[in-house]
Amino acid sequence: MPDSLVQFEGVTRRFGDLVAVDNASLDIRAGEVLAILGENGAGKSTLMKMLYGLYPASAGEILIHDAPDKINGPADAMRAGIGMVFQHFSLLPALSVRDNLLLSWPRTPFWKSRRNTDTADVLATLAELAPHIDPDCPVGSLSVGEQQLVELCKVLNIDARLVILDEPTSVLTPDEAERLHGFIKQLAGRGVAVALITHKLADVEACADRIVVMRRGRVVDIAERGARSITETVALMMGQSVERKLQRPPVLEKIVPRLVLENLSARRPEMALQNVSLSIAAGEIVGVAGVAGNGQALLAEVVAGVEPLTGGDVLLDGVSIARHNPYDAVATPLGYIPEQPRDNGVVGTMTLARNLALRELAQGNRPPVTGRDLLFRFNVNPPDPMKTAGTLSGGNIQKLVSARELGGQRQAVLACYPTMGLDLAAIEMVYAAMFAQAAAGAAVLWISEDLDDLLAGCHRIAVMREGQLVALLDNSSTLTREVVGAHMIGLTETEAAA
Amino acid sequence: MSTRLLSASAPFILTVLVFLALAIALFIGLGQPPLQTLAALVQFAVGDSYSLSQTLAKTGPILLCALAAAVPGRLGLISVGAEGQLHAGAIAGTAIVLLAPTWPAPVLLPLMLLCAAAGGALYGYVPGLLRARLDVNETIVTLLMNYVSVLLVAALVFGPWRDPASQGWPATMQFPPAAVLPALPGSRIHLGLLLGVIAALALHVYFNHSRWADKVRILAGNRKVGETFGLSFGFWVIVLMSVGGALAGLAGISEVSAIQGRLQQSISLGYGLTGFLVSWLSRHQPLIILPVSLCVGGLVAGSDALQMFAKVPAASAVILQGLLFAAALAVPGLLARWRNAS
Repeated sequence: MPDSLVQFEGVTRRFGDLVAVDNASLDIRAGEVLAILGENGAGKSTLMKMLYGLYPASAGEILIHDAPDKINGPADAMRAGIGMVFQHFSLLPALSVRDNLLLSWPRTPFWKSRRNTDTADVLATLAELAPHIDPDCPVGSLSVGEQQLVELCKVLNIDARLVILDEPTSVLTPDEAERLHGFIKQLAGRGVAVALITHKLADVEACADRIVVMRRGRVVDIAERGARSITETVALMMGQSVERKLQRPPVLEKIVPRLVLENLSARRPEMALQNVSLSIAAGEIVGVAGVAGNGQALLAEVVAGVEPLTGGDVLLDGVSIARHNPYDAVATPLGYIPEQPRDNGVVGTMTLARNLALRELAQGNRPPVTGRDLLFRFNVNPPDPMKTAGTLSGGNIQKLVSARELGGQRQAVLACYPTMGLDLAAIEMVYAAMFAQAAAGAAVLWISEDLDDLLAGCHRIAVMREGQLVALLDNSSTLTREVVGAHMIGLTETEAAA
Repeated sequence: MSTRLLSASAPFILTVLVFLALAIALFIGLGQPPLQTLAALVQFAVGDSYSLSQTLAKTGPILLCALAAAVPGRLGLISVGAEGQLHAGAIAGTAIVLLAPTWPAPVLLPLMLLCAAAGGALYGYVPGLLRARLDVNETIVTLLMNYVSVLLVAALVFGPWRDPASQGWPATMQFPPAAVLPALPGSRIHLGLLLGVIAALALHVYFNHSRWADKVRILAGNRKVGETFGLSFGFWVIVLMSVGGALAGLAGISEVSAIQGRLQQSISLGYGLTGFLVSWLSRHQPLIILPVSLCVGGLVAGSDALQMFAKVPAASAVILQGLLFAAALAVPGLLARWRNAS
């Protein structure tokens, strides 16, 4: 294609056993806005980070028009006219806007002064893009949306031919997002290619010319704007069901509330939980679906008594198990599998045996001697109790935490992404252990992004969005991933059906 | 002799060699015959019973101050407050002696030690509380609080506590015999050293062999996991900072009671900072702190005597300490790097 600026040919990227991007082929053309749509972990960011030179491709080739040299890092990418704006900004909050722009500008002179004519050039884009921002104002005092504009200026200042935006609207207010959509269209009008990584259909609707849908590392669809209905796009994003040997849990004979969340409220920077109420019966499995970053992490930590709550309560068999006061410490009676268990679930400096016995050790009791059995049962590799936990791979740490939390019978289980980074055999083993807990009478709260698994294994599915439970759906045979998906991204059911 | 033992002790041997080379270079720079000066240094540290007694007298406060840094260090806290806690303990212990100078030794001595420990503990409690409740950096607070109690000692001995009989010399009255810590006859080896050794052994047992040992270890390794299982980080910050402070407070009153015999300025030869370095060199392990404190005590005593009897400037004692710590910190790291490279 003559006007294709970048071409991906069969690009694959592996991280250990995980295939983040699988044989992806697509092109990006000058002057177009290409939306790359997909769920979290679909490989969108990884694909673009390879283009930006942050990761080398494991296989395949990325061809860039007019730039024959291989891209070995962001500096090469910038020379080739490719700029990227990340989800987490790389700005120095204490420095002024002008200094931040100068820092990343290749033509910045050795010294700078206000009278330096060169430094005026650096502000030209800013004046055009955001005339209301004072260049002498420290970046830390700007709003998130304004910071993003500064970050965008940095990229435009390198005379970018291609601008990659990673989830640009996730931190913006609706007004700011709308303004950004306008800028993106302006850029494309000037002949700059824009690659827009997003999981929001609103972004796509507003400004995309072509839409690439990715799922589980694969490019599953490339279509012109308007060629697909919303329903089709959502279906592509969520994918078809994968065959997983999960048995639908037995219908409960009687409902005895066991784990009860009453009007939970909690707050931490950038996330607030508002009036979350949910009652889980003994033997019941309730799934929590939602796009990552909508308050699931906070919900889990409040229920587990790690994060203090600001209102409401969490009751297990009628007894409060929440942390009401930041100075208290509560030992959670739940079987609790936290997300990112390497950071949140193990003590990396201690042995596997001690990590399995953290509950007992924290109470000053003698540890039980079942360590080695548990390691074998949950297939932790190596099954050596004297090994230091920090040396294990991510998947084995996940199994280690599952072994500790699901190895003995619990009254209730809270599992966050319990199969993250596991292979198929291990996934089924963890699910079997979790369902066995429910079968023996535990109330199970299961946070996951995998709708197929939730639909296969839950009695009910709650959907979280922006710190609230927006839907609580009975998992009957008529419930589809499209319906849950529509709740996740904030479409009403009528819109989703359209 | 196995090669494993050899390779394990290589950093230690090399550290000593590097330190000796640096010390020789220093003496040459000072225009002294290096080997003779070095020999004199060793002579002044361990050469006879008097030197040995001097060395042990310095070891006591260094040991206690090192433990004062090691106890919070086990939780990953960086306390540089031993110097201030030492002075706070000295003030609190002296206060009870000035209040009741006529009480008999069996009452006064324990009371004095208890008050000193409480004074030091309070001085550790404050930064501990600030860290636990308001997340104020404990390193900065302990550092700044050092100045307060050191200057408070000066204010007291120049002001309300000055002994009228001392003819203007800024010091309290001489401690009555009942308030002087017992020492080995004819030496300066006093009860403070024994307390330090007992504390080191007790802490070793507590941190390594007790049922509660893992509580601190879990919190130090992963605070969030500790809190998931019901351990309160704030509680342990306050407890460990206070215990550390109490140990430094004992060092303070020992110096006042057994060595100086009265509260005055300069009761500490920078023991707080020396102890801090000893603790970090020993990776906060009480059983390693014991011998390291003894070595550093010998160096302090030896170089102290050296400046009096040989023609080296007073500052060389501090320089020698600095060279030792620099060698001990740099050599193992460099060695590991070379091994990785080859």
